[in-house]
Amino acid sequence: MPLSAAATAESTRLRGKGRPRTSETAAPSLVEILNLIRSERATTRQALERESELGRAVVADRLQLLSELGLVDESELGLATGGRAPRLVRFSARRGLVLVSTLDQTAIGVGVSDLSGNLLTEHHEAADLTAPASHLAGRLSALFAWCLERHATPTTPWGISLSVPGTVPAGRDGFFMTATPPVLPVWEDFPLVETLTRQFGVPVWIRSSVETMTMGELHAGAGQGLRSMLFVKVGRRIGAGIVCDGQLYRGAQGAAGLIGALPVVSDGVTGTLDMMAGSDMIQREGRAAAEDGRSPVLADLLRRGSEITPIEVSQAAQIGDAAAASILSRSGHLIGQVVATLANALNPEMIVLSGTLVQTNDNILAGIREAVYGASHPLVTRDLRIIRSQMGSSAGLVGASRVASEALFAPAFLKDWILQGKPTLHPDFVDFRAHAEKAGGPSSAIAPPSGQERSAP
Amino acid sequence: MTIAGLGPHGERAAPPERVNLLPEDIAAAKSATLRVAIVLHTLNSDWTRLQISGMLGTFGDCGVVATEVVDCGFSADRQVAELDRLITAAPDAIVALPVANEQVVAAFRRVSAAGIRLVLLENVPTGLLPGSHYTSLVSSDNFGLGMMAAAGLAPHLAQDAVVGVLGFAADFFATNEREIAFTNWMQANRRDVRTHVKRFGAMDEAADLALRMVADHPDIAGFFVVWDTPAIAVASRLQSAGHASLMATVDLGEDVAIALSAGRPFVSVAAQQPFQQGVAAARTTILTLLGRTVPAWVAMPGVSVTRNNVADSFQTIWRKPAPREALRLLGLAP
Repeated sequence: MPLSAAATAESTRLRGKGRPRTSETAAPSLVEILNLIRSERATTRQALERESELGRAVVADRLQLLSELGLVDESELGLATGGRAPRLVRFSARRGLVLVSTLDQTAIGVGVSDLSGNLLTEHHEAADLTAPASHLAGRLSALFAWCLERHATPTTPWGISLSVPGTVPAGRDGFFMTATPPVLPVWEDFPLVETLTRQFGVPVWIRSSVETMTMGELHAGAGQGLRSMLFVKVGRRIGAGIVCDGQLYRGAQGAAGLIGALPVVSDGVTGTLDMMAGSDMIQREGRAAAEDGRSPVLADLLRRGSEITPIEVSQAAQIGDAAAASILSRSGHLIGQVVATLANALNPEMIVLSGTLVQTNDNILAGIREAVYGASHPLVTRDLRIIRSQMGSSAGLVGASRVASEALFAPAFLKDWILQGKPTLHPDFVDFRAHAEKAGGPSSAIAPPSGQERSAP
Repeated sequence: MTIAGLGPHGERAAPPERVNLLPEDIAAAKSATLRVAIVLHTLNSDWTRLQISGMLGTFGDCGVVATEVVDCGFSADRQVAELDRLITAAPDAIVALPVANEQVVAAFRRVSAAGIRLVLLENVPTGLLPGSHYTSLVSSDNFGLGMMAAAGLAPHLAQDAVVGVLGFAADFFATNEREIAFTNWMQANRRDVRTHVKRFGAMDEAADLALRMVADHPDIAGFFVVWDTPAIAVASRLQSAGHASLMATVDLGEDVAIALSAGRPFVSVAAQQPFQQGVAAARTTILTLLGRTVPAWVAMPGVSVTRNNVADSFQTIWRKPAPREALRLLGLAP
């Protein structure tokens, strides 16, 4: 039991009159040690002593407490380097679960992950985000409950993280969200955050899809270990995620990276980047090329009765169709011009391109590379890598999970719950949950699954 | 054709017509001397036999040789061993149905890394991505099948009825989708109906689980079981125990066809089209080996079967006459 573990650890120490309580003095070092272990910067006791600059006795004491709290595991042996094999110190990523969801205009994806952002299961289904918010909340709750049943273990959720198709204003919340941001018109006046908090008894975080995908790429994809990265998502809309000093940069209002709104010029026509280079343009131009016969591959698909979507244009270009390749190259060049400006401003180590089109097609990638290399200072491009994401659609779910785990283990938040053993006992969250339950009437919290049976909502 | 579900990574479905072969495709395949291997969960089911029939026929028409058809006996360990063996045999492509999730994912990555084209059936282990690790998933619209079964059962349920749902404990894309879709349909269209969900790990557990569910909830009026073989076992045990629950399931096996013809307890079956699915899988494999573009997810729509259309649906799905007993029960044969 976490609380008793903390109490036991405290009671074993002699405390002089007037000396601070162990819980007050231990928290900063516990936070530091746990985050060293969680980030795998230290995986043995010796490494922990070296990295934290804490003494052997202090490290041993804190590890014992973290172990009693179920947050670390020392059962595995490492490789011997001469003497006895060292005992590895691992973060217990299955101590809690994170419920994650990606919402876009036509689909909803849900999943459950461990505390290190590893997806354990995922499911996607069609949804209409313009439907009343209460419908969405009901469906989300039912799917989250299903995810928890699927992993019918004593492990309980520690947080919910949502990825949404719009900018999420920054700076209004503290450690977790306490109000529902007006991302979509139908969310006006609907307390989604409060509802989910009440039903699952955990804190909620919401970020834009570009932000969650950037987080996914940074922590589980090509961006692992990088300090600076630019993530560009190409779809109907084009947006950028910016990583500075190893952290996602959100801007003053959470609106950093809205590059799709920038004006660009193509063939003498001026329009926004979204309009001139996004997937709507690719579909429109692809259909025209199929109908007037400029693209033999697309014309052939049309003859077979296929619909011409941006995917078909991309696939046609990939097998050498000149007209389709030209459409995508134009899109790539326009995106590349804007990305080059950002690259010159930020000097990233890597630019990761994402979105179904970029991931299945080389022409857009080539167009972007050409424009960025041609329009950037030589120092900016000297070691710059421009690659496409390998994570596919899972990046949003993985990233949403990372948003939650970063917030859960942020030192300022962690220090006030670590001795309680779980974040739902953080004083601020206890207060907010009480407020949410009071506002929503009698508690309707969904209990952690004790078996596989449930009544469907 | 309407596909209700989304793919394992949220992909939109492509219809089977999207992988139709043109005469030039067939000619190119015939001149290419292609070899494929088929790796399935079992060879002992009507569904598998028809899938294989659809695949082998199509491969044969196109001059593609199926070097072997492997039976994994529902065992993840055996599937891993067979895949590792096939990497050495190096066929041009493998068409496989992953029998598990975490236990087999690494073996499938090895197949892909060895340069063997991979076309998956019904299930994608979490972490494998289309385009990177496999070419395409070919499956039924399992979400649509779950909705179809619910819509077929609903008219037989009284107001405020209670329904038992028997899902599959293994984390398997197809059965997950059916279970979610069934409860979702009830929630959206019959809010008065309450559902209780349990999941069986092995097929012979399903009947015991159902008996325990009716002991805990004697008011259960109907069951949805995520495929037909355990559904038949559940119906039989419940009847022996004197419990008259209505049944809905997925797949029109011979036993279910006979039971459906009798009227009760089976009232709704959402049937897959395994032969057509086998054809689509073979066509997808051939196109990918020819360097043509293929969609990440090809989905086959289901067929809603009740007593009224069981005889003709059986013919459509299985390419043979309905069982004699079914025809007799329907009054269509002496």
